[in-house]
Amino acid sequence: MSNLIKTVVVVGGGIAGWLTAGRLAAKHKAKDANGVKVVLVESPSIPTIGVGEGTWPTMRSTLLALGISETDFIRECDASFKQGAKFAKWVDGSEDDFYYHPLVLPQGFGKGDLAAHWLAKERDPNAPSFSNDVCFQEAVCEQGLAPKTIRTPEYADVANYAYHLDSGKFAVFLQKHCTTALGVRHILDNVTDINTCDNGDISSVVTLEHGDVEGDLFVDCTGFSSLLLGKHYQIPFKSCRDVLFVDTALAIQVPYENEHDEIASHTISTGQEAGWIWDIGLQHRRGVGYVYSSKHSSEEQARAILAKYVGETFDSLTVRKIPIASGHREKFWKNNCVAVGLSAGFLEPLEASALVLVELSAQMISEQLPQTRDIMDIIAERFNETFLYRWEKIIDFLKLHYILSKRTDNAFWTDNRNPQSIPESLKESMALWRYRAPADHDFTSNNEVFPAASYQYILYGMGFKSDYSQTAYALDDVDFAQHHFAQNVKLTEKAISTLPKNRELINKVIEFGFNRI
Amino acid sequence: MTQLVAVDNKNHLNTRVDLSKVAQHGAALHLVPVVLSEFIHLAVQYPIVLTKNGNTGQFVFSAMLGFEKGENLFWQQEQWQGLYVPLQIRRQPFFIEASIHQNNNEQHNNELTVCLNTESPALSNLVGEALFEVDGQESAYFRDVKANLSLLIMGEKENELLLKSLTSMELIQPISLDITFANQSSTKLTGLYTIDQDKLGSLTNDQVISLYHTGLLPSIYAMVTSLGQVHALIDLKNKRLN
Repeated sequence: MSNLIKTVVVVGGGIAGWLTAGRLAAKHKAKDANGVKVVLVESPSIPTIGVGEGTWPTMRSTLLALGISETDFIRECDASFKQGAKFAKWVDGSEDDFYYHPLVLPQGFGKGDLAAHWLAKERDPNAPSFSNDVCFQEAVCEQGLAPKTIRTPEYADVANYAYHLDSGKFAVFLQKHCTTALGVRHILDNVTDINTCDNGDISSVVTLEHGDVEGDLFVDCTGFSSLLLGKHYQIPFKSCRDVLFVDTALAIQVPYENEHDEIASHTISTGQEAGWIWDIGLQHRRGVGYVYSSKHSSEEQARAILAKYVGETFDSLTVRKIPIASGHREKFWKNNCVAVGLSAGFLEPLEASALVLVELSAQMISEQLPQTRDIMDIIAERFNETFLYRWEKIIDFLKLHYILSKRTDNAFWTDNRNPQSIPESLKESMALWRYRAPADHDFTSNNEVFPAASYQYILYGMGFKSDYSQTAYALDDVDFAQHHFAQNVKLTEKAISTLPKNRELINKVIEFGFNRI
Repeated sequence: MTQLVAVDNKNHLNTRVDLSKVAQHGAALHLVPVVLSEFIHLAVQYPIVLTKNGNTGQFVFSAMLGFEKGENLFWQQEQWQGLYVPLQIRRQPFFIEASIHQNNNEQHNNELTVCLNTESPALSNLVGEALFEVDGQESAYFRDVKANLSLLIMGEKENELLLKSLTSMELIQPISLDITFANQSSTKLTGLYTIDQDKLGSLTNDQVISLYHTGLLPSIYAMVTSLGQVHALIDLKNKRLN
């Protein structure tokens, strides 16, 4: 059989390229003679974009699947722990306006509707917030604590967590692991042309010094240039700027004042007049950036806002301006070419969707890698369906953050609430949630990216009310509610008294390392 | 309280140690760190397990003396009721302190000093074993103390070697054990680790031979056998509850 899939060529050497090459090589034994060969062609002259310093908890299983030690990863990628996001000044912009989207699910989630009981409580101004009443993680973050202790094994947790990482270091780290441990062949060369077969498949990519690099499947990880899927196959780009207005980022790296400064164990996202500022704590510096809509703010205004946020050191630091074209390709897999990463699309960094989409793509390609060319089109169609669904759901979820805001200080916020800018699918969900909390049955696909719990945290964190007055009988499981509210108080006390400071744990990981068990 | 001072024959010429009180140092310990050279002696009475150091997260070999913090089931009527008292207890109230001295040649020497915990209940000027003879020579007892301390120091290195082998061969697994005592109270043992016997049984020939040649095999089997002592420990606890 001549149409066996025996060689995969990944074009592009950023995080997307290495993660995809790594997953494929690990699963399909690239090291062995009878495995699938994985070749990665990286241009020596194109710098990587290096966005995406926030991950999801999925990164733990991704690293595990690649056979990477968590200790090595933390040591070499300047990584720290992330326990969700704190959204400040998103609701009304006042100083004490904040809420959390933690990574730990609400107590008893899936067993009963604790959100309904929370909504039904007599709300007094001093009552705990939704996330504080149903989950212990906000308290852990507010106290600057880590999600585990040095005694917790690698990748295990006390509180669910993801990472903040230095994306430049992460790409280098992945490259080393993929080439030395997983058998990925690394070619440093520029791709100058593409050769095709009669059926339109790519037969090889032409390089300057290494000639034609042949393959059976080509993965386009060429970043925004989308060399194979966009330029070669001319798959159109579907913009979502009419939904998500942010189109520019000003990014800056802020050093800590001293090496003992606390490291926040959550992403801090602070609403501004025409967008929001991300603040991500790594071991040796913070990554900070203002993403804004250029329709609603000049660059000069944006710089002034970022300068005010960063403080005195701002003038001595370099600001990088990154254009953001929110949207994605109309399909991602065409013939024998699939795009992963920025070549497939990009959304603003709210909720850190970039790396998780890379992980999910790499996982699906490696798990469902077709054995022969004959069946590739079936997988391609499923891949396209799955990821179109995922992109749409992520766009809905990001938009949710904007439509619940009550800010009126700039047209950026009021325009965001214009019904014409809200996708129909989100409008439908919002209509249902007027009478009940988001539940698992709202999300029936097994390809869901955000669970119902995430929608609950955003809705009730931002002051949305679901009206259960017509269905008061839904609240008869009082014991369930009391048990789980009480359980949350207990777990909060326990977590706060046993977990170390985030910086302290990271120092210990560097000095001693985690055990694997 | 632990107050350490270096031992010398001027300040401690008249110092004595009441041996009957030494074991008091372990009266409230439920786990005591142990070294490989004593595994064979320990295994006939105590479960030898691995625990994680709370500060570093690294594995430590320990003998189990009780089921909860502060509980030493071998401490009864102000005495250690055991055939063998672990070195970590017997070496009390002495410690080794490593101090780095800089001599004239700018060379760093790692010097070990024997120190004494002046707050120890076993110290006395009247009864017990003297550290020095009247002429300032070290007593046979003190030479014995130093021998025990050096056993502990050598033991640390041997422990490290064993731990390295256990980790690299993935032979460590958590113990999961629910115990119900005679009074129906129950406890769930957590934070304890032992040898994974299935993995031990499926080592490659090369691995077994390497364990044999490094002399670690008997210690591994001593750990496996010693786990049976958990039942003896439960028995002691039940007797205490009655």
